Amino acid sequence: MAGDVTATEDAPAAVVDDQREALLAVFTEHLGDAVVGSHIKPGQGLWIRVATGAWAEAAEVARDKAGLRWFDFLSAIDWLPSPYGRYEDSAVDVPFPPPMPDRSAAVPGYTGGDTRIQVLASVAKAGTDQRVLLKADVPDDDPRIATWIRSYAGAAWHEREAHEMFGIRFDGNGDLRNIYLPTEFEGHPLRKEFPLLARVVKPWPGIVDVEPMPGGDDEDEATEEGSEP
Amino acid sequence: MGLVESGKIPTPLTKLLNLSRKYSIWAYQWGLACCAIEMGAAFASPRYDVMRLGVIPFPASPRQADLVVISGTVTDKIVPAIRRLYEQMPDPKYVISMGSCTNCGGPYWDSYSVTKGVDQIVPVDVYVPGCPPRPEALLEGVVLLQERIHNEDMAERWRGGQDRPEPIVVGR
Repeated sequence: MAGDVTATEDAPAAVVDDQREALLAVFTEHLGDAVVGSHIKPGQGLWIRVATGAWAEAAEVARDKAGLRWFDFLSAIDWLPSPYGRYEDSAVDVPFPPPMPDRSAAVPGYTGGDTRIQVLASVAKAGTDQRVLLKADVPDDDPRIATWIRSYAGAAWHEREAHEMFGIRFDGNGDLRNIYLPTEFEGHPLRKEFPLLARVVKPWPGIVDVEPMPGGDDEDEATEEGSEP
Repeated sequence: MGLVESGKIPTPLTKLLNLSRKYSIWAYQWGLACCAIEMGAAFASPRYDVMRLGVIPFPASPRQADLVVISGTVTDKIVPAIRRLYEQMPDPKYVISMGSCTNCGGPYWDSYSVTKGVDQIVPVDVYVPGCPPRPEALLEGVVLLQERIHNEDMAERWRGGQDRPEPIVVGR
């Protein structure tokens, strides 16, 4: 049984792998050294990290050369660990404001990263399983990167969201008004240093108000007070 | 309505007026999130049939509404719209806050974008707790509100001398 499973997993993986290698070759051919890193999960996905300066060019290549005309999403990730820890698990009170973790504590995902915040965008070819996740570093001191709206008009709203949530400027996108947040909102909520003030003034209620799960380990404690032997 | 405004309304007339107000509540629906599904079941389905209680859930605008049911997650972004629609409603007006999100922020109590309770913006008459409340819970809220309307002193309310009564909490 186990042998069968591995056999079926291996067979299609090799085929799909070729497809993604070919897709990656299109990008390396047109972008050259601007392709900083890449990662292929056979049968699952292709990650390409490009240089910050080649971000707009990567979009052009994806759309015109690789034929990935369907824009899925554009967003960003702040790889820094949260200075607040995981509130609900934290056994000690976190001072406010907490010390920011060192920049080197950021652990980027596939294909690595040299900066704290990365933009990422997914494009695909409709009707096929061809899909690429493109990433690029955003400079720490001046979070600024080129816009994608010349290649994918639909990226405009996604860039507005990335701007309000992470404070990334998209050069060339002249309409970076807030899209979800109120106009007068201050701060960038998806940055790790953004405090959830409700949690600062009140601890996570789940920690004091735990109901025992039926059949769980906590059940013994719950019935301890009962008269059962 | 001159008698009401001058505060000289005879008691039997108050009773009659309250009776007719009680059984012809035009309810405006503000479904902001998933609680709106339960509100829809309570207000627009034959199973719960809110019209048997004398609630008419179809005003075309807040200017025709007596009651508003705010159900779902109130975000800071939509607060100005809620306030504005509330102010457009003619007095006497009543507010039912339905669901944990509207009552206090609910599971989004620590969010950066969710308003922790609609009572920060508009005065609430009835709180319906639950996540989401059953349609029956909302109907009980309506019935409790009707009781309050039935015993209300309209003349006092028009003179503005009446303190706001304690809000009703369904199931308490």
